[in-house]
Amino acid sequence: MDASPIGCGRVLPSWVYSSVSLPYDKISSFDTLSHSITTELTVLANDEATAAEIISQIENAFKDSDVTKLKITKSLISKQLLSTLDAVADEHEAVEEVGAVYDLTKHNTFYVVQRKPLFQDTWLAGDRIMFFRDAKASNTVAEALKHVVYQTSVVEGARSEAADAARQTRFPPGAGYHIVLSVAHPRPDALKVDLDAGDAVEDYIGSFVDELSVLHNFTLKSQWLHLLDFDFQAKEVKDTSDWGRHFAVRQDRLHLLLTKLEERTATHVSELPTINLALYAVPCERAPLVIYDSDGKKVASHVQAFMSPKWGGVVLGGPSEADCRDANPVWKPNVRVIMGTFISQLRKLLGITDAVHVNGAHLEPLRSVTPRQWEIDNLLRIRTLEQLTSAERTLQSLAQLLGEISNIVINDEVGASINSAVESIQRASELMARGDLLQAYNMSQSAFLAAETAFMEPSLLALLYFPDDQKYAIYIPLFLPIMFPVVLSLKNLLLWFRGKPIHKEKTE
Amino acid sequence: MVLMNRMYHVLFTIATVLSVAFSIEIPEEFQKSNHSNNWAVLVDTSRFWFNYRHVANVLSIYRSVKRLGIPDSQIILMISDDMACNPRNPRPATIFNNAHEQINVYGDDVEVDYRGYEVRTKKPFYIYCILLAYNEIFFIIDTCQASSMYEKFYSPNILATASSLVGEDSLSHHVDSAIGVYIIDRYTYYVLQFLENVHPNSKRTMSEFLAVCPKSACLSTVGVRRDLFKRDPDKVPITDFFGSVRPVIITTDPIDILDTPKRKKSLSKLNKTKSPVKREYLPQFPMHLVPNTKTG
Repeated sequence: MDASPIGCGRVLPSWVYSSVSLPYDKISSFDTLSHSITTELTVLANDEATAAEIISQIENAFKDSDVTKLKITKSLISKQLLSTLDAVADEHEAVEEVGAVYDLTKHNTFYVVQRKPLFQDTWLAGDRIMFFRDAKASNTVAEALKHVVYQTSVVEGARSEAADAARQTRFPPGAGYHIVLSVAHPRPDALKVDLDAGDAVEDYIGSFVDELSVLHNFTLKSQWLHLLDFDFQAKEVKDTSDWGRHFAVRQDRLHLLLTKLEERTATHVSELPTINLALYAVPCERAPLVIYDSDGKKVASHVQAFMSPKWGGVVLGGPSEADCRDANPVWKPNVRVIMGTFISQLRKLLGITDAVHVNGAHLEPLRSVTPRQWEIDNLLRIRTLEQLTSAERTLQSLAQLLGEISNIVINDEVGASINSAVESIQRASELMARGDLLQAYNMSQSAFLAAETAFMEPSLLALLYFPDDQKYAIYIPLFLPIMFPVVLSLKNLLLWFRGKPIHKEKTE
Repeated sequence: MVLMNRMYHVLFTIATVLSVAFSIEIPEEFQKSNHSNNWAVLVDTSRFWFNYRHVANVLSIYRSVKRLGIPDSQIILMISDDMACNPRNPRPATIFNNAHEQINVYGDDVEVDYRGYEVRTKKPFYIYCILLAYNEIFFIIDTCQASSMYEKFYSPNILATASSLVGEDSLSHHVDSAIGVYIIDRYTYYVLQFLENVHPNSKRTMSEFLAVCPKSACLSTVGVRRDLFKRDPDKVPITDFFGSVRPVIITTDPIDILDTPKRKKSLSKLNKTKSPVKREYLPQFPMHLVPNTKTG
């Protein structure tokens, strides 16, 4: 970390900079597979026996997963709460009643509460609470916690070397994202599209990303791309709809639309990674477009949409047959349906994975743009682990690279980045063990960003093309003349060291 | 996939091009057989009008990789000189790769990432990034003594090919008398002839690509280095490097939103209403300066 006394670094060899000491021992001791996150789980039951049964099943289910460490607290429901819980008919009201007694707004906490009048084994909605019926439901509780609430396999995937399906889909971690909605309108002369794209982005996407503000910063934009025509090579198929036809688009054509859109979207205006959302307004003469999947089957969905991992999502929308009968057709898109599709795609692109179905466990379907509270907690866990392991691997590769290529320069800034990354990694793993998820996330993010900065710093390359023969060419003319008097005085030096009187003194 | 085309000019009667082509593919993202994250870096460092063909070479490859599906965001194109707008160009804003002038490789959407002097200064950074992040590289170089560029490679998973061996010159293909200069180099000419017949789902292999220019056509020996590459070029489809198919997942689970949300903190709107009007149009004729005609 000490500053090099010589400022100009262009021609100096890398050993001049070796005064920047790097924590190699700490970097090599990183064990990316050992990280785990502590999380609080409270079990509230009507009686001791039920609570014990539930807890033992949960502990059993989480025995083999070392990534999520549950800190389970057991408690009995107070008589007052029990009577209110039995009195209310609706589960959502019951959540409110529990929320009045316990704090459901705290990150990294979760409540498993007994509620006798349930129709299913367990019931789960958007809050950090799951109801279960009785001790017989213990197996379902444990399964639902493992596969739905904590999704241990996805969290484990965040720290593993190879990317799993969720990691292949979501954007790499980052401090912020830029979300652009582009409305592609190929025939503005023939069709009027009545849509306020700016308001739609603000209300729907804005409300959605506000919920994720603990994770990232977002910037939102919308734009119209007129006359952007793309040849879907769609085949006309006769059917029994109002149109009497539809146009079949093969799935393997769709990626070309992305390339076409990219020509015009100008996503590089932002420094942040861009998530593209595109609404393609299909003109009357080519409507309706229907996507056929790779097996040649019609896609069974009322919205024709697709997404591309780490790129964004596209919705193909178009006027109805009635709209097109008009002399001047006007299409008023159903904003709620289109935005619902974009939100569904955004969730996956940002890392919220859809839960698998567990038998007997009821999960309320999502009916708003707001993600479920426990999904946000899980996303925090995934991103914390992902950033931490990524930072560690980056530093390890950098250390390895420095060992292999001696010409790489580590200047003070890079040294500071590396040291701060190492420090943040250590603090983040402490915070994770303590269960302070929000702080751990922030710390892992600064570790990740510092490691990336160090790795991508262009000054590392300053001397990459400084081969050995050039070193001789530069240093021999420089040092050789200085060496002559040194070499010539060696004899005198030797004599002086041995304590013998030097010749000159002798003569005097 | 990265194509790097760096050109020096040594003799100008014989085409002396140095064009390097890399092709990298970033690992982990998807399965090994599926090269879906291909990058192309095309570099041309040669300047001056008589090196017209070098720019044509690199733009032709650009056109091909773009046609085969690599999006502009994954093509890094570096061109040292602007031939299309050179005052000596009799057909301004065009660059042709054939005397028939059928294909204007400059097209209408060429996105040049680095121009002019930047090419020489930014280059090492990309090489560095590539060397750290690649899974496989396909390296093409078209220049005199081209094989000297790959002889020193030692990193794994690189397949390299060069238009000439050490001691040989790479030659240009033909002159366009209307433009007055050599218009394309032999090696690139035959590569393009081959690539024009490759489609995103064609089954051609890399070994066909490596044999694209026999000595009878190129007049120089095309060099190939296979020892660093683990797979058999006979079995590697050409689209592994020259194409890009981004995975597409069909969305079938849109969220059925019940209530139209309203964003709570609408900061952008507040700012919009506050921003003062900076400039406004004045009436075209300064009526306010004219004495009132009714009273006057």
